[in-house]
Amino acid sequence: MAMEPELPINSLLKGKIPGEGTGIEVKKTICSICNPLSHCGIDAYVKDGVVIKVEGTKENPHNAGTLCSKGASSRQYIYHQDRIRTPLLKKGDRGSGEFEPISWDDALDLIAERFIKLKEESGPESVVFFAGYSKWMRPFLKRLAHSYGSPNYTTESSLCHLATVLAARLNYGSPAGVPEISKTGCLVVWGANPFYSNTSKVREILDARERGMKIIEVGPLLTPITAHADIHLRIRPGTSGALALGMAHVIIEEGLYDKDFVENWTHGFEEYRAYVKEFSPAVTEGITGISSSLITKAARLYATTKPAAMMTGASPTVHHTNGIQNHRALTALIGLTGNYDQEGGNYLVPPSYVSVPNGVVTREAEFVQSRPWQEMPPRIGQDVYPVWCKMAPEGQAMHLPFQIRSGKPYPIRAMLAFGLNHRMWAGSDFMLESLKMLDFIVDVDLFMTDTARIADLVLPACSSFERSELKFYQEQHVIWTSPAIKPLGESRSDADIIFDLAKRIAPDDSLMGQGYEACVDWILEPAKLKVKDIKKHPGGYTLKDVKMPPYRKYKKKGFPTPSGKMEFISSVLEEAGQDPLPRFKEPVLSPRSSPEVAKEYPLILTSGARLPMFIHSRTFRLPWTKGLRPDPMVDINAKDAETRGISSGDWVSLSTKRGAIRVRAHLTEIVSPGVVNIYHGYPQADINLLIEPDYLDPISAYPGFKALLCEVKLITEGMRRM
Amino acid sequence: MAQLGFSIDVSRCSGCMACIVSCLDQNDLQGGGLAFRHVTRLERGSYPSVKLSFLSISCLHCGDAPCMMVCPAQAIYKRDGDGIVEVDRDLCVGCHSCALACPFGAPQYPADGKMNKCNFCFERLNHDMEPACVCVCPTRALGFGPLETLAEQKAQKASISILDSLHLWPLNISL
Ligand code: SF4
Ligand code: SF4
Ligand code: SF4
Repeated sequence: MAMEPELPINSLLKGKIPGEGTGIEVKKTICSICNPLSHCGIDAYVKDGVVIKVEGTKENPHNAGTLCSKGASSRQYIYHQDRIRTPLLKKGDRGSGEFEPISWDDALDLIAERFIKLKEESGPESVVFFAGYSKWMRPFLKRLAHSYGSPNYTTESSLCHLATVLAARLNYGSPAGVPEISKTGCLVVWGANPFYSNTSKVREILDARERGMKIIEVGPLLTPITAHADIHLRIRPGTSGALALGMAHVIIEEGLYDKDFVENWTHGFEEYRAYVKEFSPAVTEGITGISSSLITKAARLYATTKPAAMMTGASPTVHHTNGIQNHRALTALIGLTGNYDQEGGNYLVPPSYVSVPNGVVTREAEFVQSRPWQEMPPRIGQDVYPVWCKMAPEGQAMHLPFQIRSGKPYPIRAMLAFGLNHRMWAGSDFMLESLKMLDFIVDVDLFMTDTARIADLVLPACSSFERSELKFYQEQHVIWTSPAIKPLGESRSDADIIFDLAKRIAPDDSLMGQGYEACVDWILEPAKLKVKDIKKHPGGYTLKDVKMPPYRKYKKKGFPTPSGKMEFISSVLEEAGQDPLPRFKEPVLSPRSSPEVAKEYPLILTSGARLPMFIHSRTFRLPWTKGLRPDPMVDINAKDAETRGISSGDWVSLSTKRGAIRVRAHLTEIVSPGVVNIYHGYPQADINLLIEPDYLDPISAYPGFKALLCEVKLITEGMRRM
Repeated sequence: MAQLGFSIDVSRCSGCMACIVSCLDQNDLQGGGLAFRHVTRLERGSYPSVKLSFLSISCLHCGDAPCMMVCPAQAIYKRDGDGIVEVDRDLCVGCHSCALACPFGAPQYPADGKMNKCNFCFERLNHDMEPACVCVCPTRALGFGPLETLAEQKAQKASISILDSLHLWPLNISL
């Protein structure tokens, strides 16, 4: 639309127009503020070595020029004043918050000296390796841990996403599969809000919707997807399992299930059928709060639309004290209706690299397990959560504070963490105090966080704009980024830190000895891809001829479960002495299960649902994102607010038996009467202070963040700050 | 070149506010209260039948722009051709008359006290680039173009959904 003559230079500079005249260059990089399924392509507008603006990369098929509000704030993220500029060594007592700069060599030598000594004194298992956000360095950290000899590689997946995979694997031996949105006739969105958590997926959903795809939404909150849903099953928090069993009841009673699949490919159907008999629509209505007619309608729509796909969120369905069984119940519906590994249903594509499934075959799984589990001591949590350790390729970090305190079955003494945030743990104060009991903590982070402040050594990581990395997208796009700008201060790439440490603490690992790029080449070998070739395309390129796996792979190979079939009755759980049926249990704290607690704390508390401008704590500190929602707010229904004399914007106290936080009231109908919802991780109003550290699912150890009991009270004049 | 305008597909907008931030980044604004674009969240009804919707607006580059008419310094003008309403900040006296007159809260006053607002990213348009807010929008709710084209597109989309709702042809996609 060139409609004007060339603009004067000051106008071009103001408009940030790239070109020789303005000296503004567009450099290709990626955002890695949120999860690896996104990591949108970014055009960094760089002038004199400084990013002056960002924009989504148009030719990246994943985000196609778009970004979310977090990624659009990248400039404030990479240049934030809280960025750590040099390695820092603690001065004085732990938690004094005083540090002095130290050189990289001295810092890495110090870690090596301590870790080698710890290995001799109390075994390599006494050192924990932990990866929080971002996740891009995970394969290398896991290998480093095992090459050093420690089984204790743990991650933020100890409470996010992995339990959904575990539940599906108990049923199918494999994950539940990717919903094929562009090919499906009906999409069940169960406990997910892709509009705020996976924004690049929403164009596909909206386009499919405009084409006539049906949508069934399940979840206690109203979300942007509700307006597009044909049916919204607005369950009482914590009752997904019952709803799924109720839907199965209708599907089986009405003969709408896939009889061929059930007969030939499932194990334990009769016991399951007998159990779901208990969940008539009327009974299910009583538990979930959804009318029996709506339950029936949803069950029929899902079971009779062919094909139908199910999309579940990363955690809402498993952040419950009965999380694994609830999620087993709802993913069982995929097989029951014949949609497992089916075109337009839930398609099984194994992850290629850092959680992204796109058909490219790699050796990542082999790479990360440099030492087999049998050659290492048991992992953290293995004694208490054996099913977790059997099904998940890492330790269970939720158990970490308990093992630090008990020293059982062996002492934990040190930690090397990337992006550690104690507020991630239920009972976050309990976790912080536990961490302080360690002999030695190293935290690598971009920012000086409250958790970094208690470390012995704090190392500055650089952002995705300042490093090189390999990134795969689900759309079969691949990019090897080059730094768009120089690292801030002395900050370094997480990978460089890991590989420099490998030389010192795992000198026998000759593959790691060759460095990051050589390791990536090794991982990519089966795909015949090489870093040096990928590098030739600065903005990345879309791979051609990726051979996608066939549908219904089980027909050839069976299911990788003990019975070789899809298991309505889980052999693994049976062997572990757990209930093999996907049995529904009330949340430990609910108006039905603990009426005596509910007398004092009558409201159901659900926490952690996504807001568009935040991803956990990562963008709290940026003025642009913070400005969109300046204060922590609790969503409360107008009816509940009225009976408590609360108006919108009032400061209120949100409390459980364990404690109270001060937040503002947001009167809204997105929560139903009796339910309140709050975002997690706020330093000034940390909801996890209100949740007991052992409020956990007994199989996965996932915390019950999404359903417990609380009360909200107006803070009286005298207590008010404003 | 005819009058330019924005379009917003309210059925797609998710209230993600990326458009606000992308504009802050484009224009080096501090955010918080100071922004050229605003997203409003609307809740209608009460439990159990509630409708949630969002609307993103900036300066609408009005036909008879009230801000322009009240400006005592004649700092606000309408560009020939594309009809973009622009402010010459050198002429602005910081009297806030435009803010009083504007029905949409578009005029903003940064630290220097002079009015600033959405200029439709005309420098970008000049270089075949979309306005920053349109480019970033993850749902493709936000669009722009000459007003007649926008009207045509909307009529077309509305017609399709009316026809769809009448079930004149099978809705399910071919597989
Ligand atoms: S934070 Fe936003 S822009 Fe960044 S990767 Fe995630 S979705 Fe994309
Ligand atoms: S970026 Fe698009 S979807 Fe998000 S608030 Fe703005 S107009 Fe709405
Ligand atoms: S057109 Fe440009 S200045 Fe106007 S609201 Fe959009 S980004 Fe801001």
